[in-house]
Amino acid sequence: MKIISLNTGQAPPISVPLRFFTAAPLFLLLAALMLMFRADNPFANIHSPALLAATHCITLGFLTMIILGAMQQILPVVIGSPMLASRLTVWLTFLPLLSGALLLPAGFMLGTPELLTLAWPLLGLAFVTFISASLINLVRSPAHNATKTAMLLSILALSGAIALGLVLAHGYATGSLLPYDKLAAAHISLALGGWVMLLIVGVSYQVVPMFQLTPNYPKWLSKGLAPVIFVVLLLSLLSLLLEPRPQWLVNVTQGLFWLLTSCYAVTTLRLQSNRRRRVADATLSFFRLGMMALICAALFALATLFFPDIDHLVTESAVMFILGFAMSLMHGMLYKIVPFLVWFHLFRGGVKSAVPNLKEIIPETWKWRHLWLHRSTLLAALFAPWWNAAAWLVTFCLLLEGMLLGYALLIAIAVYRRTLERIELDTP
Amino acid sequence: MRANMAHELNVRGLPPPEPFEHILRALQTLPADAYLQVHIDREPYPLYDVLRDGGFDWQIIAQSDSSFSIRISRSV
Repeated sequence: MKIISLNTGQAPPISVPLRFFTAAPLFLLLAALMLMFRADNPFANIHSPALLAATHCITLGFLTMIILGAMQQILPVVIGSPMLASRLTVWLTFLPLLSGALLLPAGFMLGTPELLTLAWPLLGLAFVTFISASLINLVRSPAHNATKTAMLLSILALSGAIALGLVLAHGYATGSLLPYDKLAAAHISLALGGWVMLLIVGVSYQVVPMFQLTPNYPKWLSKGLAPVIFVVLLLSLLSLLLEPRPQWLVNVTQGLFWLLTSCYAVTTLRLQSNRRRRVADATLSFFRLGMMALICAALFALATLFFPDIDHLVTESAVMFILGFAMSLMHGMLYKIVPFLVWFHLFRGGVKSAVPNLKEIIPETWKWRHLWLHRSTLLAALFAPWWNAAAWLVTFCLLLEGMLLGYALLIAIAVYRRTLERIELDTP
Repeated sequence: MRANMAHELNVRGLPPPEPFEHILRALQTLPADAYLQVHIDREPYPLYDVLRDGGFDWQIIAQSDSSFSIRISRSV
């Protein structure tokens, strides 16, 4: 037993994470619009401008927007350390990220270098601010756990991904001669395999047992997984520096990465099947869908090692990772965290009868409808590279998902404002 | 005044926000000379702001099974 020092951490105002969360669905609408205005099936060609633009709408505008908002909330709750200079950090990340995430995909879509020239300094500002604030936060946090380690490694991977992304965007804007294929491969590995994957792994250690009432992750996995994935990513980057690139090293690092991520997915599914309360929950189902999509992404990626000439396998792996794994988890997390934040900020001043039940803040039926819609998106995405009608279906589903999520978040904000007014009226 | 009467509250195994809710309800009826001994799965960082604002002192003890024990009493 040990006495822990007292903590004076403060959760940020509710407007901080909600600002990021409400902006995110707009980028799903934008991604759908970009997939609409194209000549051919964008999923059939992984280098098509529409697919590149839509991918950045989703990764920067949707996923990163939500993650940056959630981190403002997660850091104080999970590691007991609030974000440094919270208000300044928020404005220096939110506005540049919002504008940069609009300009970059627009630049890719329209083939306009001027838009890319405007985008990369804005994105640079947003990420330098966020990375610096997060690193200071993590270093000064009193917590010593696997989540903190995974978060640190994830932020390091993000730093590399952003540096390479800025070089690429600047290169496209100025037409510089660069090894684009290698830089893009490293950028994607660090952004998806490092930043997104490691952060989700680290947060899962806390969120899955806490919200889904499962047993804890096994100690060997929670201690070792994130550092081993990080080392494997570094080895895969090393293979990019060698000329000629040793195929055996590519195969080993790819194989290891996907085996490790599958191990995480299978463990999470197994823990969820042993949860203490067996009540149907849409947020849990989003999480399970995400884990199954991660296993699919791994199978497609491993298949590319045996069938390197089938480009669509790479597309499928990326689609299952981004739309299937990361996006499912973001939806599930938003439907859990937003009602919780509304409830917490209404309740924290004391017990009040006006505060609604957690399940009444966003109606359960909306969450289930969204889950079924998202399942349809993923099913269509499986056929999209081969079948143009399926690509249209993915586009249409993304449009609906953006509208549905945006509406659900607005409902939660309306409940918060209405209840706050009622509490203020009742207070003598 | 010395807080010398223990009120035990076990919120282990409950999903958020139930532990938070149970603790706040228990504190509302806590006698001035008593303390609340809470057993909880995770360190409840968001609770500390509320305790400080409400005029409470607290002490946290990490248990060997990775849960926590928190002793909460009114500030003297």
